[in-house]
Amino acid sequence: MLFPQAPSHRAFRVWVRHLVYYRSFYLAEWAGNLGEHILWLVAFGYGLGRLVPSLDGISYAQFIGPGLMVSVAMWNATYESTYGAYSRMRIQNIYESMLMAPLTVGDIVLGDLLWCASRALIGSTLMLVVLSLFGLVGSLWAVAILPILFIEAVMFAALGLIATSLAHSFSFFNFYFSAIVMPMFFFAGTLFPIKGLPLWVERLSEALPLTHAVRISRGLFIYGYVENFIWHLSFLLGFTFLFLTVACVLVSRRMVE
Amino acid sequence: MPGFVIDAQGIEKSFGTLKAVDGVSLQVKAGECFGILGPNGAGKTTTIKMLHGAVQSDAGALRVLGRDVATQSRLIRAQMGVVSQEDTLDRDLTVYENLWVYAGFFSISKKASLSRIEYLLDFMQLREKWDSQIKTLSGGMKRRLHIARALIHEPKFLILDEPTTGLDPQARHLVWQRLRELKSQGLTILLTTHYMEEAAQMCDRIGIMDGGKFLLEGPPQTLVQEKVGDEVYELRGGVSEELLDSLQGLPVTAEVVADILYLYSHNGLGVMEHLISYGQKDFLRRPATLEDLFLRLTGRELRD
Ligand SMILES: Nc1ncnc2c1ncn2[C@@H]1O[C@H](COP(=O)(O)OP(=O)(O)O)[C@@H](O)[C@H]1O
Ligand SMILES: [Mg+2]
Repeated sequence: MLFPQAPSHRAFRVWVRHLVYYRSFYLAEWAGNLGEHILWLVAFGYGLGRLVPSLDGISYAQFIGPGLMVSVAMWNATYESTYGAYSRMRIQNIYESMLMAPLTVGDIVLGDLLWCASRALIGSTLMLVVLSLFGLVGSLWAVAILPILFIEAVMFAALGLIATSLAHSFSFFNFYFSAIVMPMFFFAGTLFPIKGLPLWVERLSEALPLTHAVRISRGLFIYGYVENFIWHLSFLLGFTFLFLTVACVLVSRRMVE
Repeated sequence: MPGFVIDAQGIEKSFGTLKAVDGVSLQVKAGECFGILGPNGAGKTTTIKMLHGAVQSDAGALRVLGRDVATQSRLIRAQMGVVSQEDTLDRDLTVYENLWVYAGFFSISKKASLSRIEYLLDFMQLREKWDSQIKTLSGGMKRRLHIARALIHEPKFLILDEPTTGLDPQARHLVWQRLRELKSQGLTILLTTHYMEEAAQMCDRIGIMDGGKFLLEGPPQTLVQEKVGDEVYELRGGVSEELLDSLQGLPVTAEVVADILYLYSHNGLGVMEHLISYGQKDFLRRPATLEDLFLRLTGRELRD
């Protein structure tokens, strides 16, 4: 076999394990998610939004709506693939027990990423529900954001898993969050437009994977149309594949001595 | 069954400059039970992890169930059960969920695993714990559940790393009894343990490991006979030089440890009379055991 640790359809069994655990607490999580989403929308969209003039003819609340969906996906995928995966890999020995069964590191990594993305997607879907309750959804195409967010979440979960495989304790994630996730959140055009900021910021923003998820989502959410859709999607898929491969290699190094 | 269940030729593993496994060769036949004995740090766990591919060997050749571990570890694991030294039960799931989710890793559906789970929970006396959380189980129950989990796919070969360490005597006896039952059903077993008597009773062959190598390997009774003798005399309290000197001509090997004199004899005849004639009436006479062999081979100083 050329890649003895390559992922396969058995990743689904790993995903099932996480789902079985999730069954024991999902209602509490959904309630918490909904409350938090409403808080963000009200505080930023309507609180801060009173000071913001309309952007290209749309209200601030509508502007940040898709931005919030994208960032919820990113934050959820990131939490689950850092704190959650670290606990599974290093504290609870769950990866180790899976490697005593006929699963490969690739199966475990892919199963974990699909799980992180599923959970992120639930969070974003709840955000979409909140946004539609506030009457902010401009186009039915908004539903098409969800598969895009799933890809985005797999990508961030893979990036988080890379951090997890390099971490020697939970405190490493403080660094990861402030050096990678926070800047990404602020400079991807989630809460404010990047156009008009200094050129280097625009360039930096263009290189961030999150930016491309934001562009697609905002287009679909407000207009039902995305400029340069293929380019943005390729950017997301390219990084997803890259991060997934690196995550498989690094987790293999961690799990097989 | 092609040849051996385990066929290891000179396998090695280093961690940095430490050679944890230093040229181990081992062959285990189908249906056999092999026990690895050794002090802490001897390299037992590393050797076991090499068998299921969690540690990759630096040198040597290793085949398990007829397949090469370096390239076909996943297929080997499909037919092998592993009980690791560390607890690897899923603490987020209940007893029943632990088992059916794990069955899924072997591509056994939840429905198909149900009767097997019922059987295994009965076999391991855990039936009433079906819905319990892992954290509510005692150490002995966790070990038994671990063994049940390793048997979920009806493996041909079972590996157990210190299955009874840290258990109370009742739990320990139950585990040994179940392992003997599995052995009599024809399962091939490899285990490590610090419990010499149980190992001597259950294992067809044992290997004594230290410093990453097997010092000795063979059927336990034969090894004890050959290397220690039939009987041991233990004399406590000071022993006179005179008595020690007088032993020269007898068929015994003497060893002094702190204030105890051990006499290992191949043919006890005459030894007892000799001791008594030297006015030594206070001694213990007992059969030689695997523990005597173990201590003589690996020394008596503490390891950790
Ligand atoms: N992952 C590791 N990294 C560094 N050293 C290790 C590692 N695993 C085991 N060792 C060392 O290798 C030696 C053998 O360990 P081990 O196989 O666990 O012994 P045993 O199971 O016989 O007690 C010990 O000195 C141990 O400290
Ligand atoms: Mg060990």
